[in-house]
Amino acid sequence: MSWRDFRIWGLAPAWVIMALTLVLPIAIVVLVSLSTRGAYGGFDWGLSFDSYAKILFEEDWDGNLAFTPQYLAIIGRTLWLAGLTTLICAVLALPAAYVIAQAPARWKAVLVYLVTLPFWVSMIVRVYAWIIILGNDGVIEKTLRGLGLVTDMDSLLFTNGAMLTGLVYSYIPLMILPVFASIEKLDPALIEASHDLYGSRWVTARRVILPLTLPGLMAGAVLVFVPCLGAVLEPILLGGGKTMMMGNLIQTQFGGGRNWPFGAAIAVTLMVLVMVFLMLNALRARREVGHA
Amino acid sequence: MTRTTRLLGLTAALATLPLAAMAEGELHIYAWSDSIAPDLVAKFEAETGIKVTMDGFNANEDLLTKLQAGASGYDLVTPSQHFVRLMIDQGLLEDIDAHDLAAYQAVDEKWRGQWWDETNEYSIPLAYGTAGFTVNRDQYKGPVDSWSVFFEPTEDLKGKIAQLSYPDEIVGAAQLYLGIPFCTEDSAEMKRVYDLLAAQKPFVAAYTSDNIENRIGGGEVAMHFWWDGNSMKTRANDGAPIEYAMPKEGLVGWLDSFVVPKGASNVENAKKFIDFMSTPENATAQYNYYGHSAPVKIDTATAKYTPENAPELFPTVKVEFSRACSPAAQDLVTKVWTQLLQ
Repeated sequence: MSWRDFRIWGLAPAWVIMALTLVLPIAIVVLVSLSTRGAYGGFDWGLSFDSYAKILFEEDWDGNLAFTPQYLAIIGRTLWLAGLTTLICAVLALPAAYVIAQAPARWKAVLVYLVTLPFWVSMIVRVYAWIIILGNDGVIEKTLRGLGLVTDMDSLLFTNGAMLTGLVYSYIPLMILPVFASIEKLDPALIEASHDLYGSRWVTARRVILPLTLPGLMAGAVLVFVPCLGAVLEPILLGGGKTMMMGNLIQTQFGGGRNWPFGAAIAVTLMVLVMVFLMLNALRARREVGHA
Repeated sequence: MTRTTRLLGLTAALATLPLAAMAEGELHIYAWSDSIAPDLVAKFEAETGIKVTMDGFNANEDLLTKLQAGASGYDLVTPSQHFVRLMIDQGLLEDIDAHDLAAYQAVDEKWRGQWWDETNEYSIPLAYGTAGFTVNRDQYKGPVDSWSVFFEPTEDLKGKIAQLSYPDEIVGAAQLYLGIPFCTEDSAEMKRVYDLLAAQKPFVAAYTSDNIENRIGGGEVAMHFWWDGNSMKTRANDGAPIEYAMPKEGLVGWLDSFVVPKGASNVENAKKFIDFMSTPENATAQYNYYGHSAPVKIDTATAKYTPENAPELFPTVKVEFSRACSPAAQDLVTKVWTQLLQ
């Protein structure tokens, strides 16, 4: 076998794994979304776009088919919360990553290790920790009471703020690490040059540091935004399950709702949204390269 | 290079571990979380040499979805009555000739030949009870004789009520309160259920099935949708100032049964475990641990809970068992729920 052949066939194991673990499951989900529902859950193979139509049009309480904004509202809320989480993560991660990058080499390794440390603990345990922190008589409430700052306060738990806190906490390491990587590559001479050319600190941050760390920020944004779209735990445990996100909606349809094709249709919609986001991102990145 | 080889060797060794264990008898149980006494499982393992693994679920829906997805790997599961019916109808269960098991002789007459398993071929009941609501007496002093105080609360209970995270029993309770039959296919009736739950939502702190003991026992909320035995144990064992309501409109009934999923690899071990759990001695131990009523004969002399010390388990109002809804009726339930949480 020539080297050239091997370069193609040598990748076969990777292709097989990709096909079995990525392409096949997605294909099944797409097929399920086009199937008809089984009476008591499950599905029967078929070809129908009813599940997709149901996202926009559903029978109202009087039995008339009407435009239903409820699923769009859930999709919209999911996009909004994922976007907000990404933004907050970016704002917090930039200075954190900068501090880590400026730290002495010995400390740098320790700090990076500390950032990744939460990943060693189960996600559920980490979210539960926030229940203890935010809950009634929790750490925050006790501290504020102890300092005499509040006497009677509304619960912090089971609010959108609690849910957002949980999401930011869960995913911020995924933002810090790529931003750190791109700040570390930043040539300090460029910052000096900016100062030499009478650039203020602000101008230096905006015109030199930010553009050069943008690739890291964009990579971090993808890593945070995408899993946030599918978040299930935080809305239930911290948000109190009062409003659904797409992940909860999909879970409901596969579980109690017994409507797998509709659940799959929402999952496919979620996937398409993610792909559009990633493609826009990639296009943008390509344009940047073109400009440089 | 040598390190990689060693790692590969280790991985290979780890991968073969489960296979080695399979040579001995195994039993994989998927039951309601914390529902089966760990002491009894240990005793069963010691008596039979069968290695038991136990996983827990918090909703019938989770169990059904897992079985429908196929090859769950479980040998014994414990759905509630309406889900037993669905699973039988869908061919998800193994016919174990339950009526020929020794355990069947222990089953109380009134739980035999029920609509969820008319011929007693698939299931042996494990526990039964009711779903209703519990109040914290430090937080709420009013009456608990009607669902109205829960579904149409007074202004001071804003943010002080908690519901479960699944619609199954909540919608049932709302239907009892409104006098609407379970599994109705009438959308006008279900609109009333929706209106009731939507009006209650501003009072609801959370829709969650986790950590209920702390939330209601500690007084974080004043009322919580809950189950009889759990409420009783938290009151009796932890001394929480709580009371399980007996609403005059009725309580939602449930009965969990042992069933064997189709294609289970350890059917005989599953049967052994069912028989083991149904001897008077073990059933009593299970009753004392779980704190829900036993549908099999127990030893009343050693039973821990009686009508005097555990009135929660002996309802004084009518109990209506959840039914297996038709797809049309189930869609209405899902619609109520999705609109409520949209």
